[in-house]
Amino acid sequence: MKLYEYEAKKIFEGAGISIPRGALAASPEQVRSLAEQLKGPIVLKPQTLSKQRGKAGLIGFADTPQEAEALGRSLFGRTHEGELIDTILVEEKVLLKGELYLGMAVDYPREQPVILLSPSGGIEIETLSQEKPGLIKKWPINISQGLTDSEALTLAQFIYDRQPEAAQGGGPFELKQLLLCFYEVFRKYDCELAEINPLGIREDGSFIALDGALVIDDEAQFRHPELLRPRAQSEESFKQEQAYKAKGWTYIQMGGEIGILSSGAGITMAILDLIHLKGGKAANFLDTAQMNRQGIYEAFQIFHNSTGIRCLLINIFAGLNRCDELADGIKDYLMAYQPPFPIVVRMVGNREKEGREILERIGITPIAGLEESIDQVIALVRGPR
Amino acid sequence: MSILAYGDTNVLIQGITGGQARQHTKDMLEYGTRIVAGVRPGSGGDQVYGVPVFNSIEDACHEHRIDASVLFIPAKAVKESALEAMNNGIRLLVIVTEHVPLHDAMGLLEEARKRGVTIIGPNTPGLISPPERTKLGFVPTLYFRPGFVGVASRSGTLTYELVSRLTAAGLGQSTVIGVGGDRIVGLRFSSVLKLFEEDPNTKAMLLVGEIGGTMEEEAAELIARGEIRKPVFVYIAGSTAPEGQRIGHAGAIIAGAGSSVHSKVAVLRQAGVQVGTTIAGVIEMMKENLR
Repeated sequence: MKLYEYEAKKIFEGAGISIPRGALAASPEQVRSLAEQLKGPIVLKPQTLSKQRGKAGLIGFADTPQEAEALGRSLFGRTHEGELIDTILVEEKVLLKGELYLGMAVDYPREQPVILLSPSGGIEIETLSQEKPGLIKKWPINISQGLTDSEALTLAQFIYDRQPEAAQGGGPFELKQLLLCFYEVFRKYDCELAEINPLGIREDGSFIALDGALVIDDEAQFRHPELLRPRAQSEESFKQEQAYKAKGWTYIQMGGEIGILSSGAGITMAILDLIHLKGGKAANFLDTAQMNRQGIYEAFQIFHNSTGIRCLLINIFAGLNRCDELADGIKDYLMAYQPPFPIVVRMVGNREKEGREILERIGITPIAGLEESIDQVIALVRGPR
Repeated sequence: MSILAYGDTNVLIQGITGGQARQHTKDMLEYGTRIVAGVRPGSGGDQVYGVPVFNSIEDACHEHRIDASVLFIPAKAVKESALEAMNNGIRLLVIVTEHVPLHDAMGLLEEARKRGVTIIGPNTPGLISPPERTKLGFVPTLYFRPGFVGVASRSGTLTYELVSRLTAAGLGQSTVIGVGGDRIVGLRFSSVLKLFEEDPNTKAMLLVGEIGGTMEEEAAELIARGEIRKPVFVYIAGSTAPEGQRIGHAGAIIAGAGSSVHSKVAVLRQAGVQVGTTIAGVIEMMKENLR
């Protein structure tokens, strides 16, 4: 779950990291009144989740409230990578004498957090790490210990050595303090990624977070209910996604003609590969490792109501669950409804024989081989209609 | 022989009184696993299929030597429960739970490294050693046969699919491990390969990988360095998975986390590994080379 810039900044502020004065506007008139309150030059920052707002020319500067309003008028209603601009963060323009990069991420192979720090702020860290790797300090953190005082000081010294003006006031100590606050944010909010880029250095040598990004681990959302809201999608699809999530389902639309209901992420991927190999195209898939009789009935409804499906493949390799229960779910649905497409069932695993008998009684012959079942699906979508 | 779990491994089940835990305790016992105790605070003195239940791991450890623990514990409580097991000296943990928060997993694995504890998972179907008739987790035993192929996989269902075909092809297994589908898991492919390399009864290995992450590349590096001499076969799923979407495994994120199937296949082939691009293909390869 990626947070909007304004949410990330609010969190930074709460942790003792300073941010520019400003507020959110939902209309050009609000932009104007905020500009009046802030006095002086301002920055307009559309709140989207996709990156590259600057490159797309969406970050605007204005010297007067009139200019700000006009700029706001030209930004509201535009879209950026599919996201509608309906909220703009209006901030004071801060005078700087330098910019740093500060990021923290999870190093997956090493299974620990890593701090990324550079005296070269404002640019993309991916580019920097390729072009000037010497300008990035990568510092792994022992998560049991946390970021220690002396580690934070070492990191601050790295910056101070390369950009002495970074800490005019208190030497590297102010940056050290900021690093400790930043690490607290990373931990407290279960971040996969936290970034302040640029981290501005003001005229007096103090630091200010000019932009911020936080990505919260989806599995830890329960610890941060206050942050849960629709993000760059409709309220309706957000609710649907949350409902599937609560059931432990993954549902993805793909635009082809074969529906796939299967048990487990790995096997779903293998099925997608095989369908592709045989020249077919998946319409959508629903993957769930833990499906019972009621679950399969509910899943059926999703496929029934989605357009474009010309055949549904049900693939079950029952490990945690049982074939007979799932067959009962299929039977329940077919007794109540007539789906508008043919169904191919591949079913093996726990209580396979019992499940097979249930399906055969309602006229479905389950297939035991994975490749065979896919051949049959392909034949059905290609066949005469 | 096998790796990590043997016929005389004494097993504890954490959260043994839950519905799934009960069912799988029964299945594990029927297969032959030596489950000596279960833990569930407040249920001390009860029994689950004849297995005594204790209020704490400490109590269980007073009565029994415990070598390994299987955790059937809700995601939110996994960290605490796993720490309790480590604090009581248990050296092998199998965490079947899905949806464990990333920071909890990082914390656990750091502790495990410090203490030399092996963690399998989170989000794993567990491991099974057919020659020793023991399993820790919930893989369906029906398809497993004793033999000399060691298997490591990131996915439960794909494991069943491939192992059922290995068995049908007459290739039994020494140990089969689901390393877990999460982005962060304890025992990684490279460590499993080393263990199989040392196991005299494992003659060949099968890795079942998927898109995302870097475990396959680490394995390739190890093999390229000559540290693995036994033949390794690989199948990787997800070459046509939709970009930028999560399929289900947190580990199978395409956007930004790790590399594509094609680059994985390329580095593995460069390291001299035989890579099958379909399930049937890799099994065929193994049949030709191993019999």
